[in-house]
Amino acid sequence: MNQENFWILLSKKLANEASISELKELEELIHENPDWQYAIQNIEDLWRHKAPNDDMQTLDAYMLHLQRMKDLHISFGEAADEVSVIGHGRRKVRWYWAAAAVTVLAGLFLFLRPGSKSDVSEKPLAREVNEITTRPGSKSKVELPDGSIVWLNAGSKLTYNKDYGQTLREVTLSGEGYFDVMKMKEKPFIIHTSSINIKVLGTVFNVKAYPEDKHTETSLIRGSIEVTIKKRPNDKIILSPNEKLVVENSGIVESEKNIPKENTGSLPISTLMSVNKLKYNAADSTVAETEWIKNKLVFRDESFGDLAMRMERWYDVEIEITDTELKEEHLNGTFDEETIIQAMDALKEFVSFHYEQKGKKIIINR
Amino acid sequence: MGRFSAMGEDEQIKRLLKLISLNDDQSAYKQLFVLLYHRLKQFAYSILKSNEEAEELVSDVFVRIWDKRAQLISVESPRLYLYTITKNLAFTRISRQRKQINITSEEWFVQLDSIYFDPEQLVITEEILRQIRKAVNDLPPRCKLIFKLIKEDGLKYKEVAELLQLSIKTVEAQMAIALRRIGKCMHFEIKSTPFQVSSKKS
Repeated sequence: MNQENFWILLSKKLANEASISELKELEELIHENPDWQYAIQNIEDLWRHKAPNDDMQTLDAYMLHLQRMKDLHISFGEAADEVSVIGHGRRKVRWYWAAAAVTVLAGLFLFLRPGSKSDVSEKPLAREVNEITTRPGSKSKVELPDGSIVWLNAGSKLTYNKDYGQTLREVTLSGEGYFDVMKMKEKPFIIHTSSINIKVLGTVFNVKAYPEDKHTETSLIRGSIEVTIKKRPNDKIILSPNEKLVVENSGIVESEKNIPKENTGSLPISTLMSVNKLKYNAADSTVAETEWIKNKLVFRDESFGDLAMRMERWYDVEIEITDTELKEEHLNGTFDEETIIQAMDALKEFVSFHYEQKGKKIIINR
Repeated sequence: MGRFSAMGEDEQIKRLLKLISLNDDQSAYKQLFVLLYHRLKQFAYSILKSNEEAEELVSDVFVRIWDKRAQLISVESPRLYLYTITKNLAFTRISRQRKQINITSEEWFVQLDSIYFDPEQLVITEEILRQIRKAVNDLPPRCKLIFKLIKEDGLKYKEVAELLQLSIKTVEAQMAIALRRIGKCMHFEIKSTPFQVSSKKS
């Protein structure tokens, strides 16, 4: 027989293309040559294993696709959205995760152990630090070496060492990140921020830890996490799903409340933090805290002062509110496609103020 | 979510297309996207050779599906239909870029690792697996594309032949070449007579 024929028959069998007579012919050939069995079995095994679907990536692509349909003005009836502050004058703002400006810096630091050069078994310890930063006005999605996913909000920084995942999975966050952590019991995932540490086994949650903000917020969507406040290392706070932990950022608290520095150590923990329930929007059961990953800036009962800080990062602008009373006005709403000017004009309808724009700076007066 | 066997999947796609066509069913639309996104993207990549463009192209394909949903009900061979739209849109895009209409199938480019072998599930050694990956990767572009479309994407010989404008005999022969090279990595070679076979166990 011709060897070509054997391979044609075998591939047809694997691809479900073989006729009954062809299958019979192949079976007879194999029967005559029992020593082929092993290799054929291996080839069949190889054939059957298909690539797993990367569902997370696919769902992201689907989200982008729907956004694109919207941009192209193709009507694709959408589920009732939260009422947007602006109902008119939308401009297309294309925004792709993939295109979001990301700077990945990999710094290489070599620590050579003195006197160990002759010892072959001791390799120099290489320490590589990966740093991912997002500029104000842009966001990014990062996949860590273990498959955990982090969405980084504007003006944030995430760093991890090259040895990430060898014994622990440790990252440092400054800014806001939405974490979807792969479950690995033996290798806890630890996030360090300036005021808290979070230990995770495998879960989904959002951390907002901008150094300039008054609070560090941790919102747990699924699973369970353990938080320690750096100032109170002995107290562990276990969060349950749908809980949000708000911790005061010490530097700012001290300066605002005029608490003498030496006293902060003995502050009762309750003044440092609070645990609240996450509020679900009745209409579409979304949580405001994580809407940014869908490119929505959602604010619920938020002071204008706090909102302005978020808008600075979101739009890459500088906002100055000259009136202190204005800063305390509380607002509700959502921006998704609005430009900064459209957003400002919309807010003006709810709180009366005037603003002027000078380049990247916006000054708000009564 | 598991994969479906070739037959079942064809029927599943037909059912989804029907739901989209008749009921403007958005959840069926999403299911179809999730089911095929990866494969269509890889297929688009083999023409466009750019990840970003391939992603956008699949989005274009699904825009087209939604636009023309009224006609979906009459699609006979759903997978061939979807791959053909992908191919045509990709060729249009590339000819616009290069001002060149013909692209020979030798230019097909199949992404490394888009053909999948799961080492944990197999009894063969890591070394042999590495050789198999290399052998598959070194296949001529058209041969590799045919192998990928049939093994990973579950297309029928007939569908591949029509999609790539080849005869079924060519598809058969290309598949045989790919498998023979894999067999060779396992030291499995068939000489011209069936009585001389070397099959080393490793």
